[in-house]
Amino acid sequence: MDGLSITVMIVKVLIVFAGVMIGVMAMTLAERRISAFMQDRLGPNRVGPKGILQPIADGIKFLMKEDIIPTAAVKPIYILAPAMLIIPALMTFAVIPFGQTVTLFGKQIALQVADVNIGILYIFALTSVGVYGLVLAGWSSNSKYPLLGGLRSSAQLISYELAMGLAAVSVIMMAGSLELNDIVAAQQGELFSWNICRQPLAFLIFLIAVYAETNRLPFDMTEAEQELVGGYHTEYSSMKFSMFFMAEYANMITAAALTVTLFFGGWDIPLVNEVSLGFFGGILSVMAFAVKTAFFLFLFIWVRWTFPRFRYDQLMRLGWKVLLPLALLNIIITGAIMVFTA
Amino acid sequence: MPLLKIDDREIEVAAGTTVLDAALANDIEIPHYCYHPVLEIVGSCRMCMVEIEGMPKLQVSCNTRIGNALPDRKVDGMYDMVVSTKSDIVKRARENTLEFLLLNHPLDCPVCDQAGECFLQDYSFRYGRAHSRFEDEKRVRPAEDLGAGVVINQNRCIMCTRCVRFTREISGTGELFVQQRGNSTKISILEDKPLDNLLAGNVTDICPVGALLSKDYIHRNRIWNLDRQPSVCQECSVGCNVDIYHKNGKVFRTSARENLDVNGYFICDTGRYSYHDYEAVERVTSPMIRKDKKWQKISWDGAFKEIFEKLGRKKEGDSNNVAGIFSPFHTSEANFMFARLMQNVFKERAVIGTLPLPKEEEKKFPGGFRISGDCSPNWRGLTEVSSYIYEDIFNELKKQKIKLMYALDDGVNRELTQEWKDLLRNLDFLVVQTYAMTPLAERAHLLLPGAAPLEREGTLMNDSGRIQWLRPVIPLKGSSRPDWKIVMEVMNTVGKRELDYSHVNEVLAEMNERIPAYEGVTFFKLGESGMSINEEARES
Amino acid sequence: MATIVKSYEPTFWDRLYIPALVKGLMVTIRHIFKKKVTIQYPDEKHIPPEGYRGLHRLNKFDDGRIKCVACEMCAAACPSHCIHIVPDASPWEEGKERYPVRFDIDLLRCIYCGFCEMACPEEAIELTEIYDFADYTRESFLIDKDGLLEVYEMTKDENFYLREKENAA
Repeated sequence: MDGLSITVMIVKVLIVFAGVMIGVMAMTLAERRISAFMQDRLGPNRVGPKGILQPIADGIKFLMKEDIIPTAAVKPIYILAPAMLIIPALMTFAVIPFGQTVTLFGKQIALQVADVNIGILYIFALTSVGVYGLVLAGWSSNSKYPLLGGLRSSAQLISYELAMGLAAVSVIMMAGSLELNDIVAAQQGELFSWNICRQPLAFLIFLIAVYAETNRLPFDMTEAEQELVGGYHTEYSSMKFSMFFMAEYANMITAAALTVTLFFGGWDIPLVNEVSLGFFGGILSVMAFAVKTAFFLFLFIWVRWTFPRFRYDQLMRLGWKVLLPLALLNIIITGAIMVFTA
Repeated sequence: MPLLKIDDREIEVAAGTTVLDAALANDIEIPHYCYHPVLEIVGSCRMCMVEIEGMPKLQVSCNTRIGNALPDRKVDGMYDMVVSTKSDIVKRARENTLEFLLLNHPLDCPVCDQAGECFLQDYSFRYGRAHSRFEDEKRVRPAEDLGAGVVINQNRCIMCTRCVRFTREISGTGELFVQQRGNSTKISILEDKPLDNLLAGNVTDICPVGALLSKDYIHRNRIWNLDRQPSVCQECSVGCNVDIYHKNGKVFRTSARENLDVNGYFICDTGRYSYHDYEAVERVTSPMIRKDKKWQKISWDGAFKEIFEKLGRKKEGDSNNVAGIFSPFHTSEANFMFARLMQNVFKERAVIGTLPLPKEEEKKFPGGFRISGDCSPNWRGLTEVSSYIYEDIFNELKKQKIKLMYALDDGVNRELTQEWKDLLRNLDFLVVQTYAMTPLAERAHLLLPGAAPLEREGTLMNDSGRIQWLRPVIPLKGSSRPDWKIVMEVMNTVGKRELDYSHVNEVLAEMNERIPAYEGVTFFKLGESGMSINEEARES
Repeated sequence: MATIVKSYEPTFWDRLYIPALVKGLMVTIRHIFKKKVTIQYPDEKHIPPEGYRGLHRLNKFDDGRIKCVACEMCAAACPSHCIHIVPDASPWEEGKERYPVRFDIDLLRCIYCGFCEMACPEEAIELTEIYDFADYTRESFLIDKDGLLEVYEMTKDENFYLREKENAA
């Protein structure tokens, strides 16, 4: 690897990292403002014009807060847990292609931090690691509510990981590759070539599973304020708490980006051949990717402020008895169609 | 005895009783204004109208007497009289009477001090009609000062003439009279003869409406804000029963409490306004010792230690005796404890007596009301609890060259003669148990803060031998303690006793054992009206 | 008598839940565009309607006499015992013979029920529309006679907040 490649790599990492962190900041504000609007309120609008500096104010506030570590907590794990949650959340984004390959300074640059040929497996692997953060946070707090929250999250994530993986399998079958770039490429071209059109059932299962994976309402059993006070982060305060917060939003951004990549053609704009537009096409593709991701982020918020939380048994029934069989069925159908049309 | 039927109840009463008396004695309510148990019956207010079977018109119940009917004239063959107090015609009569009484009444209850204990209010509410049909201008008259701290608001007067009869029959001075006639009728005084007698304040008590008001209480407070404490007047040895109205430790007024065995329905103005004497005094609220001619606060323990050192030890020399000064102004319990201290602890060293008692001329009024010449409330009780006592100890003290003295102080209204002052100056050690800086207290070496008259609890015996329970009206101030308790502590310190009475009742129980006059006397037996030792003697 | 309650049997379409979910989503998104009910308090103030029960005031006659005659009916009616009055003879020639020397209300104790207003025979005490009188000390919530009369001056003409808004405009 030459120096230029390394520089380019570092720049890409920084851009992705900054992009995700800015996205997190924007999301904290967006969540509060949109939820307020949905409830005919205004939401935070006093810090900066229209309240856009609110995330900074929040950040300063979190930094200033007293950092409390419970006496009975297992200290090293207690401190480590938030990091274990946020790091996988940020790392997942590495394999997601956020734009088409552009040529800059006479060099082909893929708009993707790491083009891993088993990209989708990498993502599933990392999201599974992320659950350790929750479980360990719950356990190390040495308090009953966090422990229950952690327990719930582990059970929930295992249940939905399955449905999510199987839903993705049908997409992989269509693309014939585990590489995300290939999956995006496979969706390019015609009007209805996006996987949402070809795999609507898989999309639905995947979407529901994603909500469960990110612990968002209506599946936020791990937090469930009414039952568990604050769930796994009950005992956390100050910046550690805000790291859980950021991890949740980072996870959401990754999940939205993944959904876009798998089902909405990634950075693809229908009926437009971005490659032929050169550098301008590259920018266009990034924007398309951003807009699609933003829509799914909005959907996250929208759903959260619309639906009530599932009961725990309902959650389990949905995962194991509905989504899993459906996903399997979908694979069989997909396989059958592929065999017959081949 | 005639058999009477009022509404549904059969009542047997003595012949000659009025219908109203019979009804009131049996808890049947008949509204009335001009009737008062001890005043002459006039029947002028027309409020007590009742329907009597066989009579053509309604009758005033206060002036209708019951007699024995002839056998063939008895109603239903058995009743000598059948009275109805609730029939429609009676109700209508009351409505109409009230409407007339209220014709010129200003209805200014919000500014009227009688509001809350006003019979015009109560009866209007219960028996009156809601609206007046009177359309003309009301008669408006200015308020007048009648003298002796009594003002009259002519507008509110309903001409029951209770006050006029009171000055004629009870005080015997007759200052008030009814002037003019008809619409111009008013209660008045002669220009050069204002209300001026020691019972004048009672007219404000007996006035059923807000016409006669005491200057002392006017615009001071509303009656429902005040707490009423049944108490006993401590201004003379009659021991009149009074109600003291107070709020947050502050007394607002005193009024007479009915006790036919003592004071009847009235009290004198001296007692009525006496609570002011305790307002302005310089209170002693913590034990104080004189050091370099200045008062210094010390703790109770320090005070008792001082007493032990000065009075407790037998020193060489002839003037080792201790003078104990009782006070007929204190309760029997305090004096009883003091007597025990003197007789049982100091024993042969004790020389006991009182300061010279203030005497005045005894006053008697035509209505039977008496103001005693003895200004102390408990002289009789003091003589009962302490067997031997020098009424004026002065010569004895001089003869024995007494140097030590422990005194219960009489109170604020007490002056000392020059020779007493000289005597006190020559003392080596003078302990005064007091609530205020009296002339006696000023000459003390050690002050023990006791209870003020309105803070005391215990028994008082009046000059006719009636024991009455004195209830505390306001709480003790500062670190002052009940007088009997201080004496008990002194006994414990000086006499090495282990007395531990926690309440004055326990002292009274001890007195039951030791004092013949107090045998069987308890708080509950005394009640609100007390009991006489003569009755006790008769019973046993 | 027993009643038979027929429970609703969901159809397959219902059991799919997707139409219901979409319906729900539509409800919330509609609200995003609706008019907001928030009043941005220090910048804009809520104008209370007639009959709002806020800060108390003591009314005066045109010639400056206090209407209150210190009858203490308000204090008697007050369920939270927050009114304290010291009466005395009135210093004015005309009018009622009694007036309040002191008239203190503990605003922290007050529950703004308006009973005092109803009990008052002279229409002297009234609750005004003023609702924002927050402060930092407990002592500042003991309003006395002068304070209550000041409130009267503030509120006698028109709705206090309406006037404030007009003045600002």
